[in-house]
Amino acid sequence: MTNLDAILRALTTSKVEFLIVGGVAAAIHGSVRGTSDVDFVYSRSTANLARLVSALSAAHPYLRGAPAGLPFRWDVETIRRGLNFTLVTDVGDIDLLGEIVGGGTYEELKDQCIRVQVFGLECLCLDLEPLIRVKRAAGRPKDLEAIAELEKLLELKRRRS
Amino acid sequence: MKEAPALEPDPIIEAYKKDVDETLLLEALQLSHEHRLSKLMNLQAEAAELRRVAGANLAPPK
Repeated sequence: MTNLDAILRALTTSKVEFLIVGGVAAAIHGSVRGTSDVDFVYSRSTANLARLVSALSAAHPYLRGAPAGLPFRWDVETIRRGLNFTLVTDVGDIDLLGEIVGGGTYEELKDQCIRVQVFGLECLCLDLEPLIRVKRAAGRPKDLEAIAELEKLLELKRRRS
Repeated sequence: MKEAPALEPDPIIEAYKKDVDETLLLEALQLSHEHRLSKLMNLQAEAAELRRVAGANLAPPK
């Protein structure tokens, strides 16, 4: 189980520049489908990489699905050399994305977000329409039902406003 | 911010939309963002418990 409260608290108190995407963003917009991990797009600035490392180090991040004992150092150099990381941590599975298909980087996406108040914290969450766009752009058959639900939510929101 | 073009309807997604339960979505839209995330975490906890119980029942007897 993913402890969203703990993850969001660790990131926001360390002032990590990140935004919520994926299934958790969908849930924020009203999706009733489940998701087992949490996806973030993070800023690749050097200062932010250091904040990210500091924020999550206590949760012992490790590569999800990698064999035990594989050398993996959670540090700025490791993140700098990679881009997208699927991690298992003490507080749940986390996908850290430096860039997403159809959306781009944190800097390109941050103006397409809404600010949400959750667990006493303020976070950026990708807005519904751009969330649909990136899900469409990913082109994964498994996302079709999720996209249909998100588009229905968009229709309902427009009908209500 | 550059205005994105409107989403074009996709016939495959339109077909999937017919199966979306609007009632559940309308219920969810009444909730705060935090309440929606709490419900998601409860769902995850229930799924984890089901997996644990199923795993215990499927384990070979000692």
